[in-house]
Amino acid sequence: MLESMAGLYSDYTARTILLGAVSLGIVSGVVGSYAVIRKQSLVGDVMSHAALPGIVLAFIIMGAKEQLPIFIGAALSAVLAVLLINLVTNNSRIKTDSAMGIALSVFFALGLVLLTYVQRMPDANQAGLDKFLFGQAEALVEKDVLIIGLTGFFAILIVGLFWKEFKLLCFDPDFGGTMGFSMKFLDVLITAVIVSAIVIGLQTVGVVLMSSMLIAPAVAARQWTGSMGSMVILAALIATVSGITGVAFSAGFENVPTGPAVIICVSLIAFFSILFSPNGFLTLKFRDAKNMRKIKKNYVLMALYDLGLEHADLGYAHSERLLILGSKKGFNVRKSLLELENAGYVERAGDGNWRLTQSGIREVTDISPMEKVHESTSV
Amino acid sequence: MSGIEKNPLIPAIRVTDLTVAYGDKTVLWDIDLEIPRGSMVAVVGPNGAGKTTLIKSIQGLIPRVAGVVSIHGKSYQKQRKEVSYVPQRGSVDWDFPTSVVDTVKMGSYGDLGWIRRPGRKEHEKALGALEKVDMLEFSNRQISQLSGGQQQRVFLARALVQSASVYLLDEPFQGVDATTEKAIVRILKELVAGGKTVLSVHHDLNTVSEYYERIAILNVGLVASGRVDEVFNSENLMKAYGGKTSFFPERKSTRRAV
Repeated sequence: MLESMAGLYSDYTARTILLGAVSLGIVSGVVGSYAVIRKQSLVGDVMSHAALPGIVLAFIIMGAKEQLPIFIGAALSAVLAVLLINLVTNNSRIKTDSAMGIALSVFFALGLVLLTYVQRMPDANQAGLDKFLFGQAEALVEKDVLIIGLTGFFAILIVGLFWKEFKLLCFDPDFGGTMGFSMKFLDVLITAVIVSAIVIGLQTVGVVLMSSMLIAPAVAARQWTGSMGSMVILAALIATVSGITGVAFSAGFENVPTGPAVIICVSLIAFFSILFSPNGFLTLKFRDAKNMRKIKKNYVLMALYDLGLEHADLGYAHSERLLILGSKKGFNVRKSLLELENAGYVERAGDGNWRLTQSGIREVTDISPMEKVHESTSV
Repeated sequence: MSGIEKNPLIPAIRVTDLTVAYGDKTVLWDIDLEIPRGSMVAVVGPNGAGKTTLIKSIQGLIPRVAGVVSIHGKSYQKQRKEVSYVPQRGSVDWDFPTSVVDTVKMGSYGDLGWIRRPGRKEHEKALGALEKVDMLEFSNRQISQLSGGQQQRVFLARALVQSASVYLLDEPFQGVDATTEKAIVRILKELVAGGKTVLSVHHDLNTVSEYYERIAILNVGLVASGRVDEVFNSENLMKAYGGKTSFFPERKSTRRAV
């Protein structure tokens, strides 16, 4: 794999492919952040699937695999799907999720039917059209990368220019509207940016998986940061790294399509982030467990301390049973005692009795007054 | 030109023949309302009375079937900068990745106009507003970590940054703690004392007399509007709420005397 990456750098074609993957990564990270923040992840999914009939129709009309017409076709049919969804949800009782589900499968099915039809045509020109399903970065040529780069540049330029306006659109469109910003215009603009990001990713990642390229980096980035700016940058970084890794992977192993390779990589990063980021699932679970242990240990320490006060001897040894009886919730006192023993705060005094050590007594006086009050009233 | 009309007799807000409908449902019917300058006005009414719709349609956020709205004698479009809006706290997603001070800065976006970004001046202004609502120490906090009362203070600070002369608030006291409620009332009263006009959707009939001098009682149509001591009575409340409320100011005044 390392060899294949080294090989990629030296090779001209390979550099082109890498450049494509990098541009696509940056754009989809930035733009995808908006799809995720606006809770439109599924719209991205619908649009990328719905691009397929547009791609094939563009080919049928042009009779050749021309880059620009295919892009336009893809964008048009993606937008058409979204417009149809809006039309249906605004004028019927059908809810958005149902409408999106229907639109996605209908457009994708239509795309597949057209694709099968085209592939039966005698013209050899259609070869490779099915690559739009899962993407094939190896097929990228300089001209493709140029278009990806240019489109991406404009997409990012728009996000940069309208940075604060998009913030309003995402957070509080009503408020934004009262300040004279046209939210309708901004909505159309950001949708256009998302569509263009999807379209330039079709060749590399494919229609089926492009939505993950938008969503996963943004979701991963969101786990690590609390600001829109750093989220956008981090998402771009994650998508770029995944793009490069995926391309290298599919170049290193025969017959591994690029799209899935990229998506597996980005999904792993997202998965890791959801589990281990500062607010991640496991991080929080771990923190809770740690807190709980600490509270229980303090509880036992305080109980020993208070019992000691009653005997006018802080180092007095008390039976474990007494401590168990004193604990309200019936938690595992033994376990807390063993942990406290390891920390050197308590020691055994024979016959199942325990007493505070000197450092244990000091630790009790260090526990915050609030905790002390609370604990001593509950014992 | 925008600005405040010199003539004090021209109302801060004048709503004429306002009618709003969603689909086949009329939400506001033929509302005529005048809000004098420098007054603090409660908008009350049962659920679905169109209170939020009134606030929104004054600002052109909802298409009107009919009606004209003027702010200080000129159309809302010309007077946009004179109007500050505090939406319902629950109308936005507080998980949005941003800090308290950045949220407050949004109040300056209108003056900045398209594309221009807020700078040092806007930052200072935002911090000043946060100080007024007693939230300065939270300026770098994530908005997702705020309590309900703190969220409401942030929204108020954002409106203060706009330095407008008319404030439209949608249920500023909903789900906030008692301290925040007092703090918000104090700030609103300061605004009014400074000649600003406050129109606020209000739910708790118990506090109407204490907080407001004027009231608009709404239920699709305007039931009554005027000074609280003149129109806030059982008859008008019955008209608006039907049998749905057991609250009558008479009862409250006896309780108060005790």
